[in-house]
Amino acid sequence: MIHHRKWGWGLGVATASAVTAFGVASWQANAAPATPTPTVAAERATVSDPQPVPEAATGSGNDALTSSEVQRARAIALTPQLAADAEDVTGKAGPEYLSAEVDPEAGGREAELYFYDYRSEKLFKQVVDLKAGKLVNSFSAAGMQPPASEQESRTALELLIADPAGDTLEESYRAATGKALNGIEGLVPTAHVYTAGPADKGAEKCGRNRCVQLIVATADGRFLSAGEFIIDLSGRTVARLK
Amino acid sequence: MTYRKIAGAAALLTAAALGLTVPSPARAAASATTCGSAATVKETLPNGTTWQLCWRIHDKAGLVLTQVYVSTKLQPEPVQVLDSIRLAQLHVPYDTGDVEYDDLTDIGMGGYSLESLDGDDCKGGSARQGSDGSAEPAQRKVLCVSAEPSGLAYRAREESWGENGPEPGTLYSRQGHDLVLRTISKLSWYEYVTEYRLHDDGQISARLGATGDLAPGFEADAARGWPVGSGDAYKAAMHYHNAFWRVDFNLDGKGGEKVQQYDTKLDGQGEMTAKVKTTRTDITTEGAFSKVDQRWWRLASRSSANADGHPRSYELVTGANDRYQGHPETKPDVTFSEKSLCEKWASGNDSDPECPPDIRTVVDFVKDKQTLTDPVMWVRVGFHHVPRDEDQSPMPMHWQGFDLVPRDFTAMNPLTPDGRTGQNGNPEPSAEPEPSGVQPSGSRG
Ligand SMILES: [Cu+2]
Repeated sequence: MIHHRKWGWGLGVATASAVTAFGVASWQANAAPATPTPTVAAERATVSDPQPVPEAATGSGNDALTSSEVQRARAIALTPQLAADAEDVTGKAGPEYLSAEVDPEAGGREAELYFYDYRSEKLFKQVVDLKAGKLVNSFSAAGMQPPASEQESRTALELLIADPAGDTLEESYRAATGKALNGIEGLVPTAHVYTAGPADKGAEKCGRNRCVQLIVATADGRFLSAGEFIIDLSGRTVARLK
Repeated sequence: MTYRKIAGAAALLTAAALGLTVPSPARAAASATTCGSAATVKETLPNGTTWQLCWRIHDKAGLVLTQVYVSTKLQPEPVQVLDSIRLAQLHVPYDTGDVEYDDLTDIGMGGYSLESLDGDDCKGGSARQGSDGSAEPAQRKVLCVSAEPSGLAYRAREESWGENGPEPGTLYSRQGHDLVLRTISKLSWYEYVTEYRLHDDGQISARLGATGDLAPGFEADAARGWPVGSGDAYKAAMHYHNAFWRVDFNLDGKGGEKVQQYDTKLDGQGEMTAKVKTTRTDITTEGAFSKVDQRWWRLASRSSANADGHPRSYELVTGANDRYQGHPETKPDVTFSEKSLCEKWASGNDSDPECPPDIRTVVDFVKDKQTLTDPVMWVRVGFHHVPRDEDQSPMPMHWQGFDLVPRDFTAMNPLTPDGRTGQNGNPEPSAEPEPSGVQPSGSRG
């Protein structure tokens, strides 16, 4: 760079030709004091920090569903028939409630609610028009497995501990904490929904059945050995991979 | 939760807050987004660029940005860039072949996986409260909004010629800034940062950061693992983080962009060196594409042009990208599909009872080669993670992502300083003499 400056006489023509249009302005600016006029700014960038506002009863446009919208939508989505015919992960009447999301493409306020029925092994999608306050569509299909609810994660952990396979988990809990395991107390499960691949052995039904793989941590964040097990929530069985 | 208890006091605050954020009728164009004030981000960066958008949390996708508009000092009317952008999958296969996760569709980035901001998570920024997207939605501070310096945005020193040769003239030198939006999802040991950087020059950078801790107990041999901890006793398994994003442009609110691919190749010999040719290929039907050297894609508006009469467009710029060869859907770098409400997830898409069960991956999205009238862009960026000692602990953030760079979205650099606004087009339009040791003949006054 320093060399370029020294040789500026030779290079100057090419450099300056690129700035013809404003060369005039800089000539004039330079005519008086020959000091450069830097435009470097020293602003500190900030963003606004609005106070959190109470959640609205009803959202608009692209807003996420509000708590009260979800409550209303659930009541409408759970038709008497679904409530009577379906079963949740614990075997109680009524489907397992999984999730609710807004469908902004629908134009108004439409909620899509997902339920899993452990009796028919089907995923239900209930579409609720919140403005009209009614169920506008209902779909169901087998072999579709969205992420697990918290109740499903908990149930999976209970199944694992009750199974002889849970001995590994109990040992690793004792090694990590020096204490004996007391049910699911003090354990934090994270469930990945598991779908069997063509080569998988031991959990071939998973996909048609609703299965999860668990990551189990202690309350203070230490991970316990549980990853090699697949918990079949539909069959209420535990399988070991490989 | 505490807001319920202080509802009375908060109601007063609400009115005040709304009064500040509701645009006046005269600025109606600026309120083109259709979401409530709590879901709106609208911030002006020091160089005069304003980004406005809506955000929400989806239980699977995590952070979703919709209706993204930009206005700049030279173009004060907000112009839409994106209809939406979000993650479309995070596929994590381990090199041992024992395990793979489709994190978005098997567990989800929102809901109970979404972390409330804490510690230094949003230092210097504003932690925004909103629904966490879970089945029983909770209002939590989950989105960090901040303005961060992005380094030198441009520099130009004008040179003039005096008695003794070149003399320094006006210096144009500006610091740039990004409006940064980020959320954090904790998927057991790994923690992922979903980040969008909206630059003051119109660029949008999407990236995923991974931190937290290596998966415990995922052991492998020397071909598939790297020793961490003392000696060679434990080799942590190598794995990929294959991230997909779904990008839906809506340039200037017109939609229906054209997809174009550009390739640059040698083209014979010129008088001094090789000639090089850049050619355009129009992508008119659905397809999956991969990068080769000097290939890039853009989405160009059919009906919106900048002030120079050039179609507004955005270019996809990808960088480091490891390709996982284990599945057909993780091979293409970018997939362009005709917009369909049944195409949501780059893999594990067979999760909606309203939709066909055999449309599982991006590869399925495009196999019928529909004509593209409303394209959606699926961008894949992979990272092969070879663990290292430094990954313990916590793991230093590693990033993967891509840029969307404006190409003719505005007629000039959106940050052009006042002294340069006349500098658009051929700098030597006529036979004006070049400045030299003498005063230019074009001098005014
Ligand atoms: Cu990793």
